[in-house]
Amino acid sequence: MRIDLRRLGLAGGLLAGSLTAAHAQQPATFPRNGVYDQRPGLYAFTHATIFLDYKTRLDDATLLIRDGKVEAVGPKVKIPAGAVVQDLKGRFIYPGFVDLYASYGVPEVKAPERQGRRSGPQLESTKAGAYDWNQAIHPEVNAAELFRVNAEQAEAYRRQGFGAVLTHQPDGIARGTAALVSLSSSRRESEVLLQDRSAATFSFEKGSSTQDYPSSLMGSIALLRQSYLDADWNQRNPTREQNLSLRALTQQRQLPAIFEVRDKLNALRADKLGDEFGVQYIIKGRGDEYQRIADIKATQAPLILTLNFPDAYQVDDVYDAARVSLQELKHWEMAPANPAMLAKAGVPFALSAADLKDKKKFLPNLRKAVQYGLSEQQALKALTATPAALVKAQDRVGALRPGMEANFLVCSGRLLAEDNVLLDNWVQGERYQLSTLPVDYRGVYKLSMTTADKVKDNEFRLGADMTLLIQGKPDAPQLKVVGSPGDTIKGSLTVSGELATIVFNTRKGKDADVTRLSGYYTPETRTFQGDGQLSGTQTGWTNIKWTARRLEEATRAARRDSVKAPVPPQLGAVQYPFVAYGRPEVPAQQTVLIKNATVWTSEAAGKLENTDVLLQNGKIVRIGRNLSVPSGGRSIDGTGKHLTPGIIDEHSHLAISGGVNEGTQSVTSEVSIGDVVDPEDVDVYRDLAGGVVAAQLLHGSANPIGGQSALIKMRWGMTPEQMKIAGAPGFIKFALGENVKQSNWGELNVVRFPQTRMGTEQVFVDAFTRAKEYEQEWKAWNKLSKGKQKKGEAPRRDLELEALVEILNRQRFITCHSYVQSEINMLMNVSDRMGFPVNTFTHILEGYKVADKMKQRNINASTFSDWWAYKNEVRDAIPYNAGIMHDVGLNVALNSDDAEMSRRLNQEAAKMVKYSNLSEEEALKMVTINPAKMLHLDRNMGSIKEGKDADVVLWTDNPLSVYARAERTFVDGREMFSLETDQQLRQQLEQERLRIVQKMLDAKKGGAATQLPTAKPNQHYHCDTEGQAKELDK
Amino acid sequence: MLSAAEASLPLRPHECVSQRGRCFDYASGFAQHDTFQTNNNPMKHIFLSLALLAATPALAQVPAPAPAQSRPVLLLGGTLHVGNGTVVPDAAVAFDKGRITYAGAQSGFAQDRAAFEVIDVKGQQIYPGLILPNSTLGLTEVESIRATVDAREVGEFNPNVRSLIAYNTDSDIIPTVRTNGVLLTQVTPRGGILSGQSSVVQLDAWNWQDAQVRADDGLHLNWPAMIIKTSPTDEPAVLERREKNRQEQLRQLESLLQEASAYRQQPAGRRENLRLTSLAGLFDGSKTLFIHADYGKELLEAVRFAKRLGVQKVAVVGARDAWMMLDFLKQNDVAVVLSRIHALPRREGDAYDQPFRLPSLLQQAGVRFCLDYEGDQETSGARNLAFVAGTAAGYGLSKEQALEAVTLSPARILGIDKDFGSVEAGKSATLVVSRGDLLDMRTNDVTRAWIEGRAFRLDTKQTYLRDKFRGKYGLK
Repeated sequence: MRIDLRRLGLAGGLLAGSLTAAHAQQPATFPRNGVYDQRPGLYAFTHATIFLDYKTRLDDATLLIRDGKVEAVGPKVKIPAGAVVQDLKGRFIYPGFVDLYASYGVPEVKAPERQGRRSGPQLESTKAGAYDWNQAIHPEVNAAELFRVNAEQAEAYRRQGFGAVLTHQPDGIARGTAALVSLSSSRRESEVLLQDRSAATFSFEKGSSTQDYPSSLMGSIALLRQSYLDADWNQRNPTREQNLSLRALTQQRQLPAIFEVRDKLNALRADKLGDEFGVQYIIKGRGDEYQRIADIKATQAPLILTLNFPDAYQVDDVYDAARVSLQELKHWEMAPANPAMLAKAGVPFALSAADLKDKKKFLPNLRKAVQYGLSEQQALKALTATPAALVKAQDRVGALRPGMEANFLVCSGRLLAEDNVLLDNWVQGERYQLSTLPVDYRGVYKLSMTTADKVKDNEFRLGADMTLLIQGKPDAPQLKVVGSPGDTIKGSLTVSGELATIVFNTRKGKDADVTRLSGYYTPETRTFQGDGQLSGTQTGWTNIKWTARRLEEATRAARRDSVKAPVPPQLGAVQYPFVAYGRPEVPAQQTVLIKNATVWTSEAAGKLENTDVLLQNGKIVRIGRNLSVPSGGRSIDGTGKHLTPGIIDEHSHLAISGGVNEGTQSVTSEVSIGDVVDPEDVDVYRDLAGGVVAAQLLHGSANPIGGQSALIKMRWGMTPEQMKIAGAPGFIKFALGENVKQSNWGELNVVRFPQTRMGTEQVFVDAFTRAKEYEQEWKAWNKLSKGKQKKGEAPRRDLELEALVEILNRQRFITCHSYVQSEINMLMNVSDRMGFPVNTFTHILEGYKVADKMKQRNINASTFSDWWAYKNEVRDAIPYNAGIMHDVGLNVALNSDDAEMSRRLNQEAAKMVKYSNLSEEEALKMVTINPAKMLHLDRNMGSIKEGKDADVVLWTDNPLSVYARAERTFVDGREMFSLETDQQLRQQLEQERLRIVQKMLDAKKGGAATQLPTAKPNQHYHCDTEGQAKELDK
Repeated sequence: MLSAAEASLPLRPHECVSQRGRCFDYASGFAQHDTFQTNNNPMKHIFLSLALLAATPALAQVPAPAPAQSRPVLLLGGTLHVGNGTVVPDAAVAFDKGRITYAGAQSGFAQDRAAFEVIDVKGQQIYPGLILPNSTLGLTEVESIRATVDAREVGEFNPNVRSLIAYNTDSDIIPTVRTNGVLLTQVTPRGGILSGQSSVVQLDAWNWQDAQVRADDGLHLNWPAMIIKTSPTDEPAVLERREKNRQEQLRQLESLLQEASAYRQQPAGRRENLRLTSLAGLFDGSKTLFIHADYGKELLEAVRFAKRLGVQKVAVVGARDAWMMLDFLKQNDVAVVLSRIHALPRREGDAYDQPFRLPSLLQQAGVRFCLDYEGDQETSGARNLAFVAGTAAGYGLSKEQALEAVTLSPARILGIDKDFGSVEAGKSATLVVSRGDLLDMRTNDVTRAWIEGRAFRLDTKQTYLRDKFRGKYGLK
């Protein structure tokens, strides 16, 4: 028998948007109000094309379900008595989709508005209970305990084909567990819950936590790292702490772990963190993975891909268009190709409706992804088998095998065919009707109208037959009326079920005649018929009868449209980095002979005139005269030009993601800039254009003991890890003075210790006292025999103190932000007492007052050429500072602390000639070999010497002259910048922009949604920038 | 000194004042720094201070302004950079009573040299004093200490506010700026929509009245930002509100200017309105309207707005997108006070040298422009004005064009070119001599300088500290 819709409470013939199953299911354990209504739920779906899973197709097969589960499926299923049978001849059945990234039914947690310095600090957690010290670490949260069935959300998911979702509360860093739930709206939570604690969930965002720490991305990374260690320690020493958060974190180590990130770089960072603890995260990104596909693949992380493709930008206005970055333009074009590109690269992924504010966009976007090269099978796999397997639920969902949940879709055709209609979504054996198949009225009709009074025919010109053309799509038919050949008018056709209304005007202008026809369709005779009315401004009105008989199935044009295959989109190339001035490939190492230049060696050899320098395999291999180019090499004429070592910026904050300061505690030696190097900062390219080849990326100066540094080369186009200088020693930022004591942070920031220079000393003394004790504790422990260790209690690993122990052991070196003599003297004093060296004082604007004391300890100085007067502690800063320190015998460098000045460090060095009468060679050393020495990089860098890295700059003029420009900058023998290639890159950039802007204009014309460009002011970090938002240069 | 109780308290506003007081005290003797920690005996403290003062008279203070020129001066043999593009090798420059009486080739100088104090500047370079437009020099001493900042008045419309009277001639910063060649500045208020009125001053004076070169030369309008979407997540409702606010601001501005224009016609005896009166000069050309804006479309919108309302003289300040608007600026004869070009490009995709090259684009297009140093550390960093010009010369301007962009060109834009901006007979003897190219930090070395013929001192607080500590280490 055919299924009786009314029995299920479903009214036929209407779109089922507002429908749910009529009777609320009740779990067996629940008491009941009223009579019991347990039904067998036995249905057989026959003669359907069934996809058992993403790759197994059965034709003319039967699916039998009972009580919410699949009972049998196959070509020869015996249909038991009492089954409701539905004949699905011509229809397709697919397993219901599974979405791994949802917060379905879980209450939303609103992040508080962070006001920076406008609100006072919160150093400790305000959460009640025996939980973690940090409010963003709450792995104890279980989605299954928070979850409520939500009919509205469930329906939105079901309409897109989903039958089950993994739901969690997307808040905080260790977020808690996710629960796999079905999308039934009528069952109770306990039945909908398919799998409690299906996965652990993480992110780098602290979400609703009001606590200060962590305020930066590197802080989030360090916090998670320490939390893993603490969880292990807590487990081994259960009597120390009953920390429910840490306990939960330990328990979750068995579960699949899902990590939400905001971009591809964070995906790499999350994976790297997981590797440290043997966790392979499943990474949910934002759809830009294609921009670093090889590196993403190397993580071996399965991905959860969003189909949230960006809208086109409003680029009609040329000034506004200029504000849309190349990355935004290219991402708009390429985002839909992300799944296809990853599939092609063999990266495993699940697809998700996450990030789509309007879930209705999911299926259209999925079709778009297919149009961009994803196969239907790949799409289906990413919506069924892959997500199911990732959360070990492959025996519950994602396929149709006996015993699995009866979650499936009934479609009118192939799943992703343009004209497919999702008819029903069955969830746990319950039918949710999504739509009825619209009757296809398309065709050519002969329209005849008659009046009761023939006299009127003439008046209304009814003599001629008219033709109706119904075109468009079955669910959105369009009407054209052809009176006589070449005289076609548009009309409107509204069809509701089998009832139709047609309206058109036969004449235009003020003599308009309106024809209105209402009637019904008889399938047997393929005819519309009914009553109508003609009216005109001149002629009055009359009633008529009408018929329209279908002559042909479809118009030729409509048939043509239906066979027209969509044109595969043409896309631009991926470039590295994926921003302006990126290139399809990083420049290769070359053999280069620079001939006849003035070579500033920054060595004892001094300045060599008319000299050749040969670069090969990334090294400077020969310096001399009349050298010849090795075969395959290239020669560059340096006549009249100057070759110098590449400039090294000892103090920089460019190329950093997610905040430069973790200034929320006075000691944060556990955080590391090395975790957050951003290779896509265009300031890297600009630095190259200023002859800068390397920099120390320092933590900011918001606290006495800041974070660890990253020493990088300007390897534009490479990955964060490749940017770092291999084998470079560890460095760390210390700071003194006003920033540390929060002098300029407003009246609310008077809580964090220290608030004076007195307190600052105590922070150092205390930290190093603890570090020494920590080291002793571990030494003692490591001396114990295995047996004794078994009985004993291992000390807790503390990453903060470990970094300080490294300092004590000369494995990590201090760069200390400093201004006034009292505090500089103090730190030297503390370092003497505690037995650690200060490697470098940076800024050190009163270094000239204590240069003799620094000299005694061989401390390096890295200062500004002429900064002063911007705050109280720099009122005694003088531009003669570097010169005096130099003359006292210190190793002195000039640094930028500023992405703008960084690219003009040669000019800053030149000021030493002006202010301190330094020789030009000594001045240049302050930005080349001197910083290399203080960064312990001088073995390979900082001067032009055979055997050193081929990091050199060819200048158009004396490099200290304000008129000099860097003409070529080599890093490791790669020509990372030259004035010619810069011109080429500008042209390519302009062409690429124009190409995509044109495409966007076309898209807009075609009805695509658009968005306003966002202001993109220059953003960069300084020492005292807090939070993750970069300072606006306005 | 702070009481113990005060010192133990966390930061409070009055504490800042106390600290500042102490720091300003260096004026009464640097000894305070040396004795502060060890000596709490006020008598001894004062004694030490006085002793040091006596040993280094006036050095512990901003140097005393130079007295009026007492006898004619003749500079001989240097290379003269007139400021208008002309270079005169082996030049003579004569000045008396603060006025230049001769500037040209030495061969053409026919007066009796005995009447002059002759200064041989052979091998050196002579330049007009540089002019720094759009600056808070003298209004801001220490950026982070509010009590030392007098640049921004509260409220959106303050056309009646005058920067001149807040200009602090005793700023420690001023001597360090003029010793690199900057001898005049336009002291400019900041903030709000109409910030107030600027004035042009010279940098060697006892007080603001003495310093005044041109009082109330212009009004400063910060054009309400046109870009209202500043984050990708901004909701449409927020954008709508911002746009509405902006339109309201423009409407208020328009009505203020319209009423000010009409108010001038009111008969005598009218009820005085300070705001409307202060705007009158815009409509008779006696004051320039300096519109601060960067975004290309803002420049268009703002200039057209001002012209429509009858403003006679319009200049744009900042104008970092001026390269998009060259024809418009030229056709409308709008002067550009270009913001510090030692800046990063505005957009990720802009050429790395876009800011450096902008002056040459303006020059080629025939737009009148000059260079400023607005931004972070704009007062203490103003001594780098010459090097901003030098950088422009590295990227397309000729050296003399670059010099003009910080001398004659700003003089014209500020309306003081009759007296300043070039070394020409009849003009004020406001000039510098440098051992080398003034625009290149490698060679900039000012050996002598005069403002209105007065040879002011080239020492500063900073040279004092240098000498003090070089002495400590026995360095020359």
